[in-house]
Amino acid sequence: MKPPKFSYVAPTTLDDALKHLASDPDAKVLSGGQSLMPLLAMRLAAPSILVDLQHVPNLSDIEDRGDHIRIGARVTHREIERSALLADRLPILSAAASHIAHPQIRSRGTFGGSTAHADPSGEWPTILLALSATMQAVGPHGNRTIEADDFFVGPFTSTLRDDEILTHVSIPTTRTAWSFQEAAVKKGDYGLALIAATGTPRGGVLVDPRVTVGAAVGSVTRLVAVERILTDEPLTDELAEEAAVAAAESVKPISDIHGSSDYRRKLVASLVRRAVVELKNGA
Amino acid sequence: MSITPEERLNVAMTINGRRYRAGVEARKTLADFIREDAQLPGTKLGCEHGVCGSCTVLLDDLPARSCLTLAVQAEGRQIRTVESLADGQELNTLQRAFREQHGLQCGFCTAGFLMTATALLEENPAPTREDIVETVSGSLCRCTGYETIVAAIEQAAADGAEGNDDAKDGAQ
Ligand SMILES: Cc1cc2nc3c(=O)[nH]c(=O)nc-3n(C[C@H](O)[C@H](O)[C@H](O)COP(=O)(O)OP(=O)(O)OC[C@H]3O[C@@H](n4cnc5c(N)ncnc54)[C@H](O)[C@@H]3O)c2cc1C
Ligand code: FES
Ligand code: FES
Repeated sequence: MKPPKFSYVAPTTLDDALKHLASDPDAKVLSGGQSLMPLLAMRLAAPSILVDLQHVPNLSDIEDRGDHIRIGARVTHREIERSALLADRLPILSAAASHIAHPQIRSRGTFGGSTAHADPSGEWPTILLALSATMQAVGPHGNRTIEADDFFVGPFTSTLRDDEILTHVSIPTTRTAWSFQEAAVKKGDYGLALIAATGTPRGGVLVDPRVTVGAAVGSVTRLVAVERILTDEPLTDELAEEAAVAAAESVKPISDIHGSSDYRRKLVASLVRRAVVELKNGA
Repeated sequence: MSITPEERLNVAMTINGRRYRAGVEARKTLADFIREDAQLPGTKLGCEHGVCGSCTVLLDDLPARSCLTLAVQAEGRQIRTVESLADGQELNTLQRAFREQHGLQCGFCTAGFLMTATALLEENPAPTREDIVETVSGSLCRCTGYETIVAAIEQAAADGAEGNDDAKDGAQ
């Protein structure tokens, strides 16, 4: 299990990183390497050159910007897990971080790497879609922002272009009602099903709720039928049940050695039920 | 500037307080650098793709899988491996606890568990059992059934293990 041959650069400016990335169609960004290195070891990726972001400045901060928090692409899962600012302002991230792999991986793997990788089982993609986050990317033709709804488009596929670097993710802090649910064989394993639910509580109901599913499906998706049920309705146990039924009816789960489609459908339903009950208690 | 894959890159890092320098291929992992270039074979390679944890070392004091890090990414960094723990023939508190609690059988996974536990105890000298289980869940052991490993780390915490501060100080 040795990686194939490639070249390597560790530029110290974002401009240089972009130049290297544009220099070859098979150039690839290297962040924490916790997804890319296994792909290289298994020879599932064959980049010509790796552009390591570790020395590119200004990508490692978590900043409070009032109505949103901005997280740099190089912030590690470990830093998110331990951030007092996030525990206070975006506790869904703090709660989910410890579900991502293990301490040895969380110390190296990054928020931006996970987001760009768009793993359908990824906690960050599932949560960013539920939080209506905005991705900030820079490419040879300048900056661009991409809404989460337009970012995660398929399994391991985002709308980030090959010559672009994801620099930051901006997350609104107005969605103060939240729940994150994960079913995994053991903590740290990739989940069998993930559910993230958020909304803005107002007068006992949720405005603009968003409910997403990861891991059980081919790519992270919103459960629109569930969102419709929760919109502007007082949250009750009966509503939670209704939401669970709608989730089971609308989700299209995958089937693999870890769990059949049927089993995952049941998991999704019960996680949605739990999420709505948690929203009810928190809202 | 970019190089052709055949070219070698110079890399230098500090391992267990000693400086190592070599010309390596970009694709060489930190694990292979430690084992082949620094000739420190205590770090073991099980799966070589991030699943088993046997290759865990401390990279700037944080636990990291050395098979998922390139040697060139560790340029200028401080590494600690299992060889940093004992003082000559004298095992440290954590190693002694592993021996006394039978926290190893074949020993292949042990270096990874020891380094993972070292990082835990340095950050949190009084971990709960849950903290310990959570920490070791990232490593596979096919012999012990884990109970004895957890017991060893509990004993080490009770005995006041704080990793190997000598190596840490020496590395700074
Ligand atoms: C044993 C194991 C278990 C794991 N379990 C989980 C889990 O339960 N949940 C989970 O979510 N993840 C899990 N992971 C993956 C881990 O979270 C990775 O850290 C993450 O997926 C990728 O982040 P990275 O920084 O390591 O990115 P890298 O591996 O460096 O990169 C991943 C991909 O993203 C691209 N990329 C990286 N950064 C950028 C950027 N800024 N701009 C553009 N492209 C970029 C790279 O080119 C590459 O294609 C696990 C990994 C391992 C080895
Ligand atoms: S050898 Fe590195 S995790 Fe298995
Ligand atoms: S002691 Fe043999 S694998 Fe752990």
